Parts: sequence; C-alpha cells; structure tokens
Amino acid sequence: MIEPVQIIALLASLFLLGLVLELVRRKKLTEEYSFVWLVCALALLVVALGRRLFLDRVALAMGIYYPPAALLLVLIFFVFVASLSFSVVVSRQRQQIERLIEEAALLDARLRELTDPSTTAQTRQRDYETRDTSH
Amino acid sequence: MKRTLIVIPAFNEAQSLPQLIGAVRQHVPHADILVVDDASTDATAALLPRLGVRWIRLSQRLGTGSVVRTGLRWAAAHGYEIVVRIDGDGQHPPEHIHRLLDPLLCGSADVVIGSRYVGKEPVDTPRLRRFLHLLLGEVLTLITQRLVTDPTSGFWAFGENALHLLVDHHPSGYPEPELLLFLSRNGLRVIEVSVQMRTRITGRTSLTPQRTWSAIARLLLHLVVVPLRSTVGASRD
Repeated sequence: MIEPVQIIALLASLFLLGLVLELVRRKKLTEEYSFVWLVCALALLVVALGRRLFLDRVALAMGIYYPPAALLLVLIFFVFVASLSFSVVVSRQRQQIERLIEEAALLDARLRELTDPSTTAQTRQRDYETRDTSH
Repeated sequence: MKRTLIVIPAFNEAQSLPQLIGAVRQHVPHADILVVDDASTDATAALLPRLGVRWIRLSQRLGTGSVVRTGLRWAAAHGYEIVVRIDGDGQHPPEHIHRLLDPLLCGSADVVIGSRYVGKEPVDTPRLRRFLHLLLGEVLTLITQRLVTDPTSGFWAFGENALHLLVDHHPSGYPEPELLLFLSRNGLRVIEVSVQMRTRITGRTSLTPQRTWSAIARLLLHLVVVPLRSTVGASRD
C-alpha cells in the first residue's frame, strides 16, 4: 500500500527532476551544476518508489522504527552533499576571480609601460638588457 | 648585484607612501620600487602616478596575500631575482632592508624574515599580542623545525627559488603563517633576522576584530592541512 508520505516524496522528486531539466533547457542552470540535483531527484524517486526494497531495510538497519522518517534523513543527506559541492564551486570561483583581478591589474600595468615610455624607459631598458643576457 | 625589487603593498596609505618611498630610495638605491595598491579608497590611487615608481592597482580589494602575489608575478615577468616586501604603513624601517638582503646574496637562505623579537624584547607590543605571537611562534617552530619568533611579520625578502615557487602558490588573505608552513613543506630555507619595527606612520591597521578571528580560524585550519598537502614538485608529477 502506498502511504501519503510516499506520494509526497514521489511528487516532490518528479517536480525537482522536471524543474532541473527545465532550468537546463532554458540555460539558467549549466549541465555541470545540474548533475548533483538530478542525482538527488533520482535518488529520492527510487527511495520513494522502492520503499520495501530500500527504505524499510535501511530504516531497520539504522534503528529507525518509522521508515518514512528515514526518507527525511536521506533527503537531508543529499541536500548536505549538494551544499558542500556548491561550496567547492564557490571556492573555486573565488580563486578564479582573484586571479582574474590580478591578471587585469598586471595587464593594465603592462599597457601603461607600452603607452607611457617616459616613466618606464629606465626599467624597459633593464628588461631588454636582461633578455639579451639570458639569450 | 642581483636585480632587486621592493614591493610595497598599500591600502589607504597616501599619507605614509611618499616618506616611505623616499627612505627606500635613500637606503636601497640600486633597487626598483613597485607599489601594489589594493583598491585603496583614499588618495593613494591619485598619488601613485606622481611618486615616480612602478605601480599596479587592483580593481577590487583582495587582501595582502593577493597583493604580494601580484607583485611577485610582476617581478618574475620582469626578470628580478630578489623581491623584498615592505609594508606601506611605515612599520618596517627601510634602513634594515640590507639585513634581509645579506643572507640571500651570500646564498645562506631562500627567504629572510625581519623579526622584531630576535635577540630582544620590544617594549611597545601589547601584552596579549605578544602572548599570541609567542604561542604561535612556538607552534610554528615545532611544525617547521625552524626558529619562528615573529609569525605575523610582513617584512620579507624572497630569493630566486622562493620567487618562482610563490608566483603561483603565494597564499591569499593574511598569509604569513600559512606562507611559513608552505615554504617549510616545500623545503625552502627560511631564516629570521633582527629588525626594529616602528609604530605606523599614519592610518590604522586593516585587522578588524572580525578579520582577526577569521585569520585565527584560518590559521588553526592551516596548521592541520598545510603540512599534509603534497609539495609543489610532487603535485606537478
């Protein structure tokens, strides 16, 4: 017999799945970052459909007497994994932004060297000397 | 004489920069000077073109670590062999730069740090800060197996080996303790020399209580993870 909580989990997982696919279709979510949500939605779907097969066994093994409560635990686990994966993404992007700002500042300085020879002639001369001696 | 660049990280240091640059020119006449402005909001940006030195301005504030890394990248791209980092607030006396340069020039170290605590006890350091420096210094000495007395000093000189390593790997944020751990992990010879530090010429420290706690939290994490990271050569393999 299907319990109401299973129906809610089923609808929620189908909604999440549809939402993620729609966001990817509209290019609001890139494929790279959609996978973690697709896995969450599919896992929720499988757990909701195969209650006897997965949920009851897992709940029993963990000492949870009301199996649908295990569903919430699974959900929390996937949200935790998703949040952590996005923290990794944010950290990586922060590093990339730092490097970009540094690179832009270095290019700006290089542009000034090329367009304003009066303040940089001495250093440029040294640069040429260094290059000459290194060849 | 090796080609030497003095990198001056600056955030809102318009009042102290002219005096500092004059003193650096006087005491290290053979070195070039590069000011790296960390998106200052005072008159620093307007002042830079008039100082007669090379300068780079970051468009967003990134913190000391990124500022120094930018200076090191510029130095490496322009063929410098030694880089000295001296803070823009006038805490570090330019007349002591040669103390940092000597061990690099004679090849006895890869990195030299100016320490206010080597061989003496400064009288003007607040007691709590002195205690934290002492504690952190002991922990870093234990981990790096080299004497660390001034773990937050920003007065550094980098030789060629360090320069090429740090162009890509200088840590961000308030980087000094992490930098010590990183250099030790990668087998570079780091030594301290005695310098006299002064109170700031003008302005206030950028370390707010929130940043201080954030820096302490980062530091505790770094004490655990940096010694466990692979060395740069190994991670390239």
